[in-house]
Amino acid sequence: MTHELLNGLSSAEAEQVLRLGTRLMVPAGTELFRLGDPADRLFLTERGRIRLTMPMQVRGREEDIFVEEMAPGQTVGWSALIPPYRFTLTAIASLHEAKVIALPRESLQGYFAANPAAAYKIALNLAVVIGHRLQLSQTMWVREMQRTVEVRSA
Amino acid sequence: MEMILMGLCVAVFGMGVAAVAFGAATRSVSSDSVVQPQLPLVKAAAPARFFSDRAAVTPTVPSVTPRQVPIEVLLLQIENHVRMEQAAAEVFIAFPSQAHLHSKTASPFVN
Repeated sequence: MTHELLNGLSSAEAEQVLRLGTRLMVPAGTELFRLGDPADRLFLTERGRIRLTMPMQVRGREEDIFVEEMAPGQTVGWSALIPPYRFTLTAIASLHEAKVIALPRESLQGYFAANPAAAYKIALNLAVVIGHRLQLSQTMWVREMQRTVEVRSA
Repeated sequence: MEMILMGLCVAVFGMGVAAVAFGAATRSVSSDSVVQPQLPLVKAAAPARFFSDRAAVTPTVPSVTPRQVPIEVLLLQIENHVRMEQAAAEVFIAFPSQAHLHSKTASPFVN
């Protein structure tokens, strides 16, 4: 299993990082974390899929609206490494049980301090993950804005 | 001679009665034609009301129809819309162009 966050690391480095974490089984439909929760752990998806949702009012009711789905190998909960360390989405295991590796922030920070070369590679990988999310969000926002403008100027 | 004159008088009288009757009949027809413009008006008013009723109902259809959709179906439609939008955004990120940025999807939310 290759994890996007560990790209470019040697197998020894990757193994060291993975040993910092705990493997968790998340039953289908169970929350991994909720929007607003303190983000003190980063998750690497190993099996199953994790749905990311945000709340939205639908017919006067608050509903968790699908935002994105993370597949095995992808990183979930990078808010654990970005201040103010609060989750901005809710993560739920999809239709099947998911398996993730939970990496505590403190353990990661300790590893980064002791292994700056590996930390640099992980930081670059994290930048790719965050950058991709930013590009997606930006593109989807412009598409929605375009439609709003078309409706309002029609 | 007297009989002929009598017959002529009766004939003239009969023609007069017939003429009056014809006139009355013709007048009644013309009076109907005076009323008739009102009929088309009534007839015109009825379809107009019918169409105006339809016109009044039509705008409420979009707001009523989604409410008839179960919320689970609506949430699924939203999820499909997000997935399609995300796929379209992924294509734009891979091949940035204005055409890809504003490409259309099959989402019922935008069609």
